[in-house]
Amino acid sequence: MQIAEHMLRTGSRGTRDEFRRAFADLVASLGKLDLAWSLAWHDVVSRYRGSILGPFWITLSMAFMVLGIGFLYAELQHISLQTTMPFVALGIVFWGMISQVIIEGCETFVQASGMLSQTSLPMFTFVWRTVMRNLATLSHHVVIIVAVVVWFGFWRTMNLPMAILGLVLTLLNISWISLAAAIASARFRDIPQIVMSIMQFSMFMTPVFWQPGTRQGLMNLVLTFNPFFHMLDAIRGPLLGAPADLSSYGILALMALAGWATTFSLFAFTRRRIVHYL
Amino acid sequence: MKPPMVSIKVRDLTLRFPVYGVDAKSLKKHLARVAVGGRLGRAHSGSAEVTAISNLSFELKAGDRLGLIGHNGSGKTTLLRALSGAYEPDEGEIEVSGRIAPLLDLSLGIDPSATGLENIRLRGRIAGLSAREIDEKMDEIGKFTGLGPFLAMPLKTYSAGMQARLAFAVATAVDADVLLMDEWIAVGDADFQKIAHQRLLSLVERAGILVLASHDHDLIRLYCNKVMRMDGGIGSPVVSVKNLDELLAQPSES
Repeated sequence: MQIAEHMLRTGSRGTRDEFRRAFADLVASLGKLDLAWSLAWHDVVSRYRGSILGPFWITLSMAFMVLGIGFLYAELQHISLQTTMPFVALGIVFWGMISQVIIEGCETFVQASGMLSQTSLPMFTFVWRTVMRNLATLSHHVVIIVAVVVWFGFWRTMNLPMAILGLVLTLLNISWISLAAAIASARFRDIPQIVMSIMQFSMFMTPVFWQPGTRQGLMNLVLTFNPFFHMLDAIRGPLLGAPADLSSYGILALMALAGWATTFSLFAFTRRRIVHYL
Repeated sequence: MKPPMVSIKVRDLTLRFPVYGVDAKSLKKHLARVAVGGRLGRAHSGSAEVTAISNLSFELKAGDRLGLIGHNGSGKTTLLRALSGAYEPDEGEIEVSGRIAPLLDLSLGIDPSATGLENIRLRGRIAGLSAREIDEKMDEIGKFTGLGPFLAMPLKTYSAGMQARLAFAVATAVDADVLLMDEWIAVGDADFQKIAHQRLLSLVERAGILVLASHDHDLIRLYCNKVMRMDGGIGSPVVSVKNLDELLAQPSES
């Protein structure tokens, strides 16, 4: 039921028990997804309280950025607007979601310190809150996605199921990165700055605006070892009607497995301590 | 299956706090220390450990109203937070049967820029009420606050007393079996204090168990039937409130 009807808390009984409890936290949080959603939606509403357009303000500023950068890069790279504009639009929209989930992950536990230190709410609830908050924002940007897909005629050639698969795999990956950032930021207060710099650097190293061209030499290296490239590629590629490059999906799936295994272990070992870090 | 009786069982509870100083919170200094020759296993050397509760055991059953007394820093609040499930024991165990309502902090989950109604919803959700339960209770809570049309206005436009009324109304709207309170919450003007008092009493009546930490011994005599004295993280045996004076007369152990 609501707050644990029966609660048993004990001292550490070994590693296996810690993992079992961490898993119990995860399961409990999945049973309370509606609570995570309530918190996430409240965040969205309160962030844009009093503004007429609400989250659409971000959509609007993103749309202007897409127009500006779209025209600019079409000129710079001598590629037709027909190719550049949709590429840039989808790149900016999905990059926004990826980077925000990770950057806001730093705040996940720090922000929830009040609730964590006096209730028995599952800790994962706050991880989902961060992810869902950004999904709510993304849902406003669907306007931009639909606009370019329809305007440039990609609705005829796009492969929606593959794009959705790509989005799901991306979410699975950024949620563990977000959790790792949340734990690390709770313990060390300089992590958010580091995460911010990494994400800024990654934005330029990832083909968000620029077309990657042929994959060879240094470029191939930059793309192959950049997880964010695979995320964008797996979502954007099929929407733009490109033949699906299965290697990106494979890499994302493997990365999700390895990443969750590592981060979940980290969580299992630090779970007791996180509330004291805050 | 028969629901288990409301109870709290604490066995050999020990709770230690790592206290992280400013240095320990900085990754750079942390790494520097490791590089300069601190062994990795001792990477935590920048932080001290404080034993907040040691070897505490007691049991409460339905109908028990336990008053916790003790000086500042004696571990009362820590014990309440451990009972709420927020702090994990380092040793020993805590077993609580029944729905727990921690009323430790009235401002928990309150958003000043949201309206009164939104805050009722948010706080209710955090306390574990479903959206439907909140809808059912909304009228009652709204009426209890006595704020009427102000409920549709942002909380930051409220006076301090009005904010306290709202927070109190929501915090006490849950049906709980175990009520945890850090100081008796007395808020608002004289009129409101009277109804707040009524409501708390009925909550205590309904709740199977109350654990109240307070410095006010008269208050404890009034509401509690048992007392425990905390002293430097060590708890005295739980005794009847009739023996409060004897308990207070005992010399401090630390």
